[in-house]
Amino acid sequence: MTEQRIDAIARTCARWRTADFPPRRRAARAIAQRLQYTAPVVDLALDRLFGSITQAAIEATIVDELGSLQALDGFVARAGRPCAFARGVDNVLIISSDAGIGVAIPPMVFALCAKAHVLVKDRSDQLIAAFAKTLIEEAPEFATLLRVQTWENHEASHEAIARADVVVAFGRDETMHAIRTHCAANARFIPFGHRTSVCYIPREALAHASEAYDSARATALDALLYDGDGCLSPHAIFAQRGGALSPESFAASFARACDEISAAFPAAANDLDARVATYRDRMRFRADALGVGAVHPGTNGPHLVVFDPPREEPPPLLPRTIGVYPIDSPEEMLAYIRRRRLPLEAIGTTPQPSADLLNVFLASGASRIAALGRLQDPPLAGNHGGYKRIAPFTTIAYRDA
Amino acid sequence: MTQARELDAAFLAGVRAWAHGSALGFADEAIFDRHARALFAYQIDHNEPYAKFAAARGFNRARLPASWTEIPAVPAAAFKDATLATFDVREAELEFHTSGTTAAQSGKHYIERAALYDAALLAALDRFMLADRMNLRFLNLVPNPRLKTHSSLGYMMGHASVLRGDGKAAWFLDDERLDVDGFARALRAAIADAQPVFIAGTAFAFVALLDALDERRAALPAPAGSRIMETGGFKGRSRATSRDELYARLETRLGIPENAIVAEYGMTELTSQYYDAPTSREHLHRVKSAPPWLRTLVVAGDGRQMRDGETGFLRHFDLGNRSSILAIDTEDRGYAVAGGIVLLGREADAYPRGCSLTAEDLSA
Repeated sequence: MTEQRIDAIARTCARWRTADFPPRRRAARAIAQRLQYTAPVVDLALDRLFGSITQAAIEATIVDELGSLQALDGFVARAGRPCAFARGVDNVLIISSDAGIGVAIPPMVFALCAKAHVLVKDRSDQLIAAFAKTLIEEAPEFATLLRVQTWENHEASHEAIARADVVVAFGRDETMHAIRTHCAANARFIPFGHRTSVCYIPREALAHASEAYDSARATALDALLYDGDGCLSPHAIFAQRGGALSPESFAASFARACDEISAAFPAAANDLDARVATYRDRMRFRADALGVGAVHPGTNGPHLVVFDPPREEPPPLLPRTIGVYPIDSPEEMLAYIRRRRLPLEAIGTTPQPSADLLNVFLASGASRIAALGRLQDPPLAGNHGGYKRIAPFTTIAYRDA
Repeated sequence: MTQARELDAAFLAGVRAWAHGSALGFADEAIFDRHARALFAYQIDHNEPYAKFAAARGFNRARLPASWTEIPAVPAAAFKDATLATFDVREAELEFHTSGTTAAQSGKHYIERAALYDAALLAALDRFMLADRMNLRFLNLVPNPRLKTHSSLGYMMGHASVLRGDGKAAWFLDDERLDVDGFARALRAAIADAQPVFIAGTAFAFVALLDALDERRAALPAPAGSRIMETGGFKGRSRATSRDELYARLETRLGIPENAIVAEYGMTELTSQYYDAPTSREHLHRVKSAPPWLRTLVVAGDGRQMRDGETGFLRHFDLGNRSSILAIDTEDRGYAVAGGIVLLGREADAYPRGCSLTAEDLSA
């Protein structure tokens, strides 16, 4: 029954929340080795991942999308509509990307709740395999539903893709195109291709230096975690003019905050990425020779903050590199996002944005609006990529009244 | 005589001296140093952005660099952000544009006097590519300068074709489309005439050519004495191949031995070019040599000069860049050896990971 499955999943995640849990310790070491992230970064990622997968969050998501938990177990009545059964699809394939930590786990959890047979393509750190093993310890029935593999054989990949009713894939856009061509004609394809995120700092947040620093610090955490990898990492911060603190001062404050965050969550590598060094030199030239913008290199880590980068270009989509753009209005931010055709995953901002501001955010195409400092901590019950969480793993059978 | 004319005259004399085999000229450290520092002084007098850039690094008219190695280098990408010229660019005799693979705008290199570019080009081409014979037939797989008026590569080969060719030069690249049939016809005609050819092209164009010839199962053995100048250019392309593989395929299909296939290395932002040193063309790691008015330091990301053999970024000092910027930092990596540099190319694109985005994605 669905409730028992959810309970088993939640119990397993609770075990993984303990830093000393041996499978987690082993996986954390392997992840650090694979991605070269430092131990604090990996630990935070695992805390956030497993902290988000709770019984309440899973149940709330299912109830919201399907009407009730019971809808997964049999026909249930629906107000004004025929009764329906959200039957899980037969086969789900989840293809992890080379990056990210445990990105395959949330879709896997929901596919299992839907009673689908799930095959996950794991990475070399075998986090998913380790999680699956502990999940089966909690509920042996998952052994018949869940398989985790690592494979490099393209033929095997193509066969698995062709067999799947639903394919969830993470990675580069070219990879998404390639996978899509191998999907069955009636399969559902849920691609998590390339996207990025931005932050918006309204002038109200720049009224006092101390509050502005709080915003800067929260934004720095979002920007520097995972070295700026992933679709939830902001590479552009839009700071509104007209506050007591200018956007330029905010940029300097943000650079100090980056230094502070770097001490807590050090970069994977101490050396500045070659392309970041090139970008830094060019921005220094702009600042020194043309008097445009400012450059704030990290004092205790390889990060780079550039105030007022060129608007004719996309933001600096480079490791631990963030541009701070001074703007007069949120519409100016929107115009830039549209002009540069930035595919957005999320926008980080201060709490309680106005209705007008929300409209601008929606117009940007972002699927998530988050509090500063929480961009890298998406709720399980949210909709990564704008997709529903469990509905895609089900088909609705209905019985006429 | 104006200062610009004096500098140009000195440069052209240095080029002529080298072309005629004189040991004097810019190969002499003191002569290169004196000319470079005079050029720097001239450039900060006539190029405001560069003067400000240099001032931020502690150099001005009152405090000039003690040595050419101290001259502040501008990142090549700065040509996208500023007009880096010592003259009114409306008077430019040459204007070259960078391809601009990642930025919306391309960089522009304005050259006041074409004579400097032409002299530097021909002297080096004669030394590194045409030392044994002239009057080759130029078959160009690079942009036609009549169609791509701002392509430095097109200009370069156009000029060389006219002044060093047999009068029957032809062009086979039009807006990225390669005229394989036209090339094959031209090469067959050269074979029939027993006329050696000089084939110039980007690595990508050669790959496309070879793929097409493979499909046709066509082997076109070029007449003895033929040669190839490969100008790099894989960046941003969908298919890459190793240099060794490319050269082996060229030898097989076109009958031009690998030691007659020479890699040229240049940049839109430079006046002068590097070529594979003749003595290294049989070796696995080819050494790139330049005429003595183009010198290169290998530097770390923080600008610190590396020792010979240590890998770093290439910082070029080109005395031919009188009317723009003498010292230019690049993203190209390599290391210094006796007689030149070994070019390693650009750092592999390892970023981004996950579902994040690169500028290349947006500009594709």
